[in-house]
Amino acid sequence: MSGFSRRSRARAQLALLLGPVSLFLAIFLAGPLIIMLIYSFLAPGLYGGVEWEFYPHNFGRILGFADPEFEIFDPVYIAIFLRSLRIALTTVLITLLVCYPAAFQISRLSDRWKSFALFLITLPFFASLIVRLFIWILILKKTGFINVALSELGLIDTPLELIYTEGAVVLGMVYIFIPFMFLPVYASVEKLDWTLVRASQDLGANGFQTFRRVILPLTLPGVIAGSIIVFIPALGNFVVPAVLGGAKSLMLGNLIEQQFLAARNWPFGAALAMLVMTIVLALLFIYIRYEARRGDDAPVIR
Amino acid sequence: MRFARRIGTTGLIVYTLLFFAFIYLPIALIVVYSFNADPVNMMRWSGFTIDWYRQIFGFRNAASEAALYIESTDQLIAAVRTSLIVAASTTVIATVLGTATALAVYRFNFFGKRFYRVLLFVPMLMPDIVLGIALLIFFVGVGISLGIGTIIIGQCTFLISYVFIVVSARLAGMDRSLENASADLGANEWTTFRRIILPQVMPGVVGGALLAFIISMDDLVITYFISGTSTQTLPIFIFGMLRRGIKPEVNAIATVMLLFSFTIAAAGLYLRRRNR
Repeated sequence: MSGFSRRSRARAQLALLLGPVSLFLAIFLAGPLIIMLIYSFLAPGLYGGVEWEFYPHNFGRILGFADPEFEIFDPVYIAIFLRSLRIALTTVLITLLVCYPAAFQISRLSDRWKSFALFLITLPFFASLIVRLFIWILILKKTGFINVALSELGLIDTPLELIYTEGAVVLGMVYIFIPFMFLPVYASVEKLDWTLVRASQDLGANGFQTFRRVILPLTLPGVIAGSIIVFIPALGNFVVPAVLGGAKSLMLGNLIEQQFLAARNWPFGAALAMLVMTIVLALLFIYIRYEARRGDDAPVIR
Repeated sequence: MRFARRIGTTGLIVYTLLFFAFIYLPIALIVVYSFNADPVNMMRWSGFTIDWYRQIFGFRNAASEAALYIESTDQLIAAVRTSLIVAASTTVIATVLGTATALAVYRFNFFGKRFYRVLLFVPMLMPDIVLGIALLIFFVGVGISLGIGTIIIGQCTFLISYVFIVVSARLAGMDRSLENASADLGANEWTTFRRIILPQVMPGVVGGALLAFIISMDDLVITYFISGTSTQTLPIFIFGMLRRGIKPEVNAIATVMLLFSFTIAAAGLYLRRRNR
């Protein structure tokens, strides 16, 4: 009897703890995502709005089977999609190149300096994103810091085109995503067993061989985790290209924003968002599989 | 060989110093130039002034009168107020719900426990823009008018996750034997919770709340889509300013915001270290 009442009391506590949050997330997280999925298969209405009929051509407009009644397929959307992939991958690569060597140096510091360095790297993550991007406008724009400095030194006559380029977008993203990459990479580097590195050197491997066969495989989990954590927000980003990019560096995020706030083609915007989400989920799925497999056969050096 | 290694070591040190310079020099630049007197080109140094600070805090002066900047100061103050109201509300809601979920997952075994763990990572890993437009479609479809209410609801969907993760991490590091000891000594469940679990988990809850507050104050993308036309938070106000054209006082606003978030973050990180 008392066992039964204890169990029912536990059940009541559980319901009290989980009930509100479940309700909240069911309505305001699952609900919107399901509605967005439905929207991506509806026809756009004439003046904004939607027509309630099955309409696969939102995806067709992007992937090659546009609505034959209204338009011929225009590769502009797939071009924007590919550009977003390229910008996101470039960002991942550069962020990695920036963080990886620094992680080694910082892992060698004394405990005190180490935690100070980590503090300095984490701190900007808490500063306003828009402020950190704004800084780069002031540095890169036509009358910005670099151009003013160079022209006052007499090195240039006409200002350089630095802002509103793809390079500026990548730079802005690298700047804001450094903490995302650094922390997972550092976690791997910190755990690196240096006796293995020394063993490799004693056995006659040169620096490059040691790096490729020992250091890189052992730090790969951090590199992969960091790359995914940077790639996800980079791919669908719309703030950085909106602030630092020009018309030629438009990304998926800007295209989505336009569909909602200017073109008022919500179903098409929803389809674009579904595309971004599909890629992100696929990536996460692969990553989870990779992590699970790695768990099975602990670090192996080949 | 030894010579090569020394070059390698020095190179790595220089590289790391450059790494930190890359992070902090731009920030230093903005702080320095927020005191620049030049009203036309913010990045051409022409003397020291604190006028921009006077202006954003609502003091009128010759420069601001002449340039009719006053209107934007009112908008700025309204935006700060909106941001603070939103952040305070979301912090309370997200902290309560996130902590409750973390406690449930920690204390009980129930069907779907793994599902909850995964579910709570979803809003954090989903690209902002996807969540933003999903919420926009939802609010408009259901007929809830956009404004401060929708911002609060929208931000909570992902802030709960942050609180959940911070509190869960704290719970995972907790000493279960203390709970058993308390039960053995005759304390009932409520007393054990209040006297043993709560004090131990509290630093996690405070940390989660601070994180939620900072992220809420800073959220741009999701808020941008669900704020409607008449409500502006601080990041949205600045985003709009950047798109319309930059005025010199933005430097001062940026510096104040950096100072504000660095102070809170430093306090949070310090608390976490002290409690470890």
